[in-house]
Amino acid sequence: MAAESVHGPSRVQLLRPGSLLKFIPEEILIHGQDFRLLRVGFEAGGLEPQAFQVTMAIVQARAQNSPAQQYAGITLSQAGQSSDSRKPPIPLLETIEDWETERKKQAARGWRVSTVNERFDVATSLPRYFWVPNRTLDSEVRRAFGHFHQGRGPRLSWHHPGGSDLLRCGGFYTASDPNKEDIRAVESMLQAGHSDVVLVDTMDELPSLADVQLAHLRLRALCLPDSSVAEDKWFSALEGTRWLDYTRSCLRKASDISVLVTSRVRSVVLQERGDRDFNGLLSSLVQLLSAPEARTLLGFQSLVQREWVAAGHPFLTRLGGSGASEEAPVFLLFLDCVWQLLQQFPAEFEFSEFFLLALHDSVRVPDTLTFLRDTPWERGKQSGQFNNYTQVYTPGFPGAGNSINPQLSVWDWNLRYSNKQILQFRNPGYDPEHCPDSWLPRQQPSFMVPGPPSSVWLFSRGSLTPLNQLCPWRDSPSLLAVSSRWLPRPAISSESLADQEWGLPSHWGACPLPPGLLLPGCLGPQIRLWRRCYLRGRPEVQMGLSAPTISGLQEELSHLQELLRKWTPRISPEDHSKKRSPNTILSQSR
Amino acid sequence: MVPLQARCWSYVIVSYAVFDEKKKTLFGQLKKYPEKLVIHCKDLRVFHFCLRYTKEEEVKRIVSGIIHHTQAPKLLKRLFLFSYATAARNSPATDPKKHAVMFDTLQDWCRELERTKGNMKYKAVSVNEGYKVCERLPAYFVVPAPLLEEDIEFFQGRGIPIWCWSCHNGCALLKMSALPKEQDDSMSQIQKNFSDRIYRTVHRPPYETAKTEDLSSNFLSLQEIQMAYSKFKQLFLIDNSTEFWDTDIKWFSLLESSSWLDIIRRCLKKAVEIIECLEAQNMNVLLLEDNASDLCCLVSSLAQVMMDPHCRTVFGFQSLVQKEWVMGGHCFLDRCNHLRQSDKEEVPVFLLFLDCVWQLVHQHPPAFEFTETYLTVLSDSLYIPIFSTFFFNSPHQKDMNVGKESQDSQSRPLNLLTVWDWSVQFEPKAQTLLTNPLYVEKPKLEKVQRKGTHFKHQRQLSLPLTQSKSSPKRGFFREETDHLIKNLLGKRISKLINSSEELQDGFREFYDGWHSRPPSYQGLLLPHLEGPEIKVWAQRYLRWIPEAQILGGGGVATMSKLLEMMEEVQRLQEKIEARHHSQEALQAEAASPLRTSGRLSSLFPFALLQRHSSKPVLPTSGWKALGDEDDLAKREDEFVDLGDV
Repeated sequence: MAAESVHGPSRVQLLRPGSLLKFIPEEILIHGQDFRLLRVGFEAGGLEPQAFQVTMAIVQARAQNSPAQQYAGITLSQAGQSSDSRKPPIPLLETIEDWETERKKQAARGWRVSTVNERFDVATSLPRYFWVPNRTLDSEVRRAFGHFHQGRGPRLSWHHPGGSDLLRCGGFYTASDPNKEDIRAVESMLQAGHSDVVLVDTMDELPSLADVQLAHLRLRALCLPDSSVAEDKWFSALEGTRWLDYTRSCLRKASDISVLVTSRVRSVVLQERGDRDFNGLLSSLVQLLSAPEARTLLGFQSLVQREWVAAGHPFLTRLGGSGASEEAPVFLLFLDCVWQLLQQFPAEFEFSEFFLLALHDSVRVPDTLTFLRDTPWERGKQSGQFNNYTQVYTPGFPGAGNSINPQLSVWDWNLRYSNKQILQFRNPGYDPEHCPDSWLPRQQPSFMVPGPPSSVWLFSRGSLTPLNQLCPWRDSPSLLAVSSRWLPRPAISSESLADQEWGLPSHWGACPLPPGLLLPGCLGPQIRLWRRCYLRGRPEVQMGLSAPTISGLQEELSHLQELLRKWTPRISPEDHSKKRSPNTILSQSR
Repeated sequence: MVPLQARCWSYVIVSYAVFDEKKKTLFGQLKKYPEKLVIHCKDLRVFHFCLRYTKEEEVKRIVSGIIHHTQAPKLLKRLFLFSYATAARNSPATDPKKHAVMFDTLQDWCRELERTKGNMKYKAVSVNEGYKVCERLPAYFVVPAPLLEEDIEFFQGRGIPIWCWSCHNGCALLKMSALPKEQDDSMSQIQKNFSDRIYRTVHRPPYETAKTEDLSSNFLSLQEIQMAYSKFKQLFLIDNSTEFWDTDIKWFSLLESSSWLDIIRRCLKKAVEIIECLEAQNMNVLLLEDNASDLCCLVSSLAQVMMDPHCRTVFGFQSLVQKEWVMGGHCFLDRCNHLRQSDKEEVPVFLLFLDCVWQLVHQHPPAFEFTETYLTVLSDSLYIPIFSTFFFNSPHQKDMNVGKESQDSQSRPLNLLTVWDWSVQFEPKAQTLLTNPLYVEKPKLEKVQRKGTHFKHQRQLSLPLTQSKSSPKRGFFREETDHLIKNLLGKRISKLINSSEELQDGFREFYDGWHSRPPSYQGLLLPHLEGPEIKVWAQRYLRWIPEAQILGGGGVATMSKLLEMMEEVQRLQEKIEARHHSQEALQAEAASPLRTSGRLSSLFPFALLQRHSSKPVLPTSGWKALGDEDDLAKREDEFVDLGDV
């Protein structure tokens, strides 16, 4: 909950945690974080004491520091039932096996799982395991990572089946003075065995954290049911929030990067100072755009688990749970981007809008640790992962008496949703036939020939600029370290990056895309408002949800098939063989 | 050089000549010959022609040809329509009645009266046969039963209520053109007496009290519509992508400042207000406008689309347009400016209507038998000069010009095509894109189905249980939680709720009341009017913009999946039916147009901008039919083409 205001007979009071109610309220308005406005009315006569108590109870509940404590009294029945041997629905990437399985799945042959951070002594915000190039020793990793902001050195995010690698890392730590060997280690990790390296300045043309927060606040104010914006001024008010504009910049940048990854075999490095916010957003979006696997229900959940949860996105801080000022709903911005993709490509995603909504709402439900901690270290500490590592100091977290079962993750959907609702997580319009797994076979880069990279580029403001060197320390300070904001802005070329990269003249129109790659539309009219999420507090929006859609048809299909199955004995055998096809179609789409 | 479509000159809005990257409107004589020509079309396509490598005399010919075709006023008789009809005189004509009720006979009107059960209080009259009374009105129309024929003739059909449609409760929607303004006192006295008498006829039982809606004074003006649309369409007439990227950030405020969407909202709102009168207050509504042929058509047909499920079928919708617009005397010729005579008269009223209907289709897809693609091709058809439907100002003008009325019995009347025969424009394969596979047809079956699915979806995940409404004037709680709250907090709350409801005005209550119930696709259908609910008709306005293409995405992706499943359902149903005969149902494996083509672009079926492109599935004008007759095209060249250039 964000804020309560209380209306007296003629007065309004805004209640913050710790504030004292000055009169007996007539009405309480509760502004929800999830775009809902709850309104509770009391009327004079008999109800005043309760009104006062109820209001004060709400204020006190809000005053609790952490959402986890707030719900300390609540026990979850399902949570208690689960046994320790239970397998999580999604690999949580807390063990080395999970990382190894995932690496094999991506066929990233030039990479290995590094255990250098097993005790979180390289960086607490990094996961215990991550992928580094085969050739790099753990000692080199440790040394190289020290020269990056908060120890977040370059790690593999995703290996493209065509051969490219997508890496992410924090900003160079310019104050450090690495020796030659360290520089060589850093460079070879960034290069990842490719001769073509592109450094992506993540933050350029993207909003700052404060921008995101402000836009989200404005959007919420606009979308709450009591907003007073006139109907004919609604669109400019929407524009004024800038939320859609930020969504657009994220999508456009992600689409450019996925072109970089798919068009040539190279190493693409996302570099953000902290490496914990927009790197995750961009890297997840790039994978959604270029990998059909990431668009499945399972694939998407493991993507979020890997690029956000395990990678150390500070969920608690960003969602305003820690009371710190660095609140910025970057993850919600990401979900909005995914929704944009979903509505632009309705047949390409296995999950539905309802799944995204469920995820959107789960972000603040304090029944699992997934979104309630800032780093993998804190999460692991609580779930008692380090009981056998005596070196790790475990402070007095109320571990035993806590209601949260550390074994559970947000991906245990049956904690919060009924089976019927979970069934609706699937998109009935998903058409997997359109995304064949046949990738353009490309030669795997040979990791035997390291050599210096033959071309190094900086991707900034929609175009590639050649760089003399990868690291900033040797001769001159890096462009990145100096802050790319000082770079002159190149004129926007009328050619899209896709056309430049494939070497095709722009007037030919869109190019034949590699199978499985999606390029989203980013024009003004194509970026839309996620009505079912932001406007659901409005009664008029809810009514549209009941329209018979594709799912209705699918029900009819299965009903008819059921009927036919019953009659099967009566049907001649040759007919029987033909009847197979509908079943297979359905099982594919289920 | 010029593609066939561009020969369709009626499509061209404006053409520019480009000198040294500067655009100049092509007008009059040119001193210098341009390097590049840019042509903006009415369907919002932009053509670029490079003339740098063209010989000067060629350029001269092209430029003067374009100027001639796009700017010089034309005579009605010289429209391509007539050349085409003359040439196609001998080809067999399809019966237009198969596609729509044409309302050109007395029987058509009588049947419509019967269908709407208006025949007790209203009668079809043939007083205007041969257009003796008035050239604005159709030969046959419907008036209140007690109205005298002399009254109709008194002011040449002005000042009398003309029936549009009857509601199930007996209330009727009527329209009336205003009496001419008179300075003369005695004349205005006569007028006053006349209207008093007419009003008395309408107000007397069995007629319900009538409410008069004056559309020419306190509603939209045609100038407003014209201005809004010309601003709005500039948002989509984009010459290059750089220009487009620049508008992105300001997109919503640009959109808002055109106020086109607001005009749509006002039209829809007006229609809802009228429906509230008819449906909730049991009142007749009399629409009043100067000629009763612009906003009258718009508002009355919108109200009918919302109230009468028949008007949401393809046949019913086409009949509605035929009844309210074509026979209702909407001046298509002037409003589309086919003759290029007066830009002032060019107002996209019909397009505005289609856009309003699109909002309804978009908000309630299962209620309509047609798709947005249908509306898009219909809006294109407005400018295809082989169909007569949208090329005349009145039925009288049409009859005069096709020679129906001519004494010369030797020449057969011209064979003018009606736009409603979609097979003239589209192959059967493409025509499947015009009908909605999700249309909810049978009312009985639908009711059961809806109840089931509705209940399930109502308890959607993540939906709040307690509702609040957006304005304190409205009730605090939704019906759903009403019960609970009442029990919880006692009777006082319910008193509070009731008192707050008393504050609502009739319209708000009617509107909210309808929206708080599950929509019935076979009954009354109201649009959402809130700010975020009125949207841009993306298919129509974005389809020619290459930058707007989403490969493998857009609504088409869902549509193809849908059609595939529909086919599957149909096949299974056939199988189940055939099980009695224990013989296999013959399966005509008619591949849908979407099935075979793999990954489609969001611009499908219009522009296909892929490199390996084939021609668009829906040709955007009637040239497919023409292409078969090559010599016709040539002959036409001699007939109209630049005789004087």
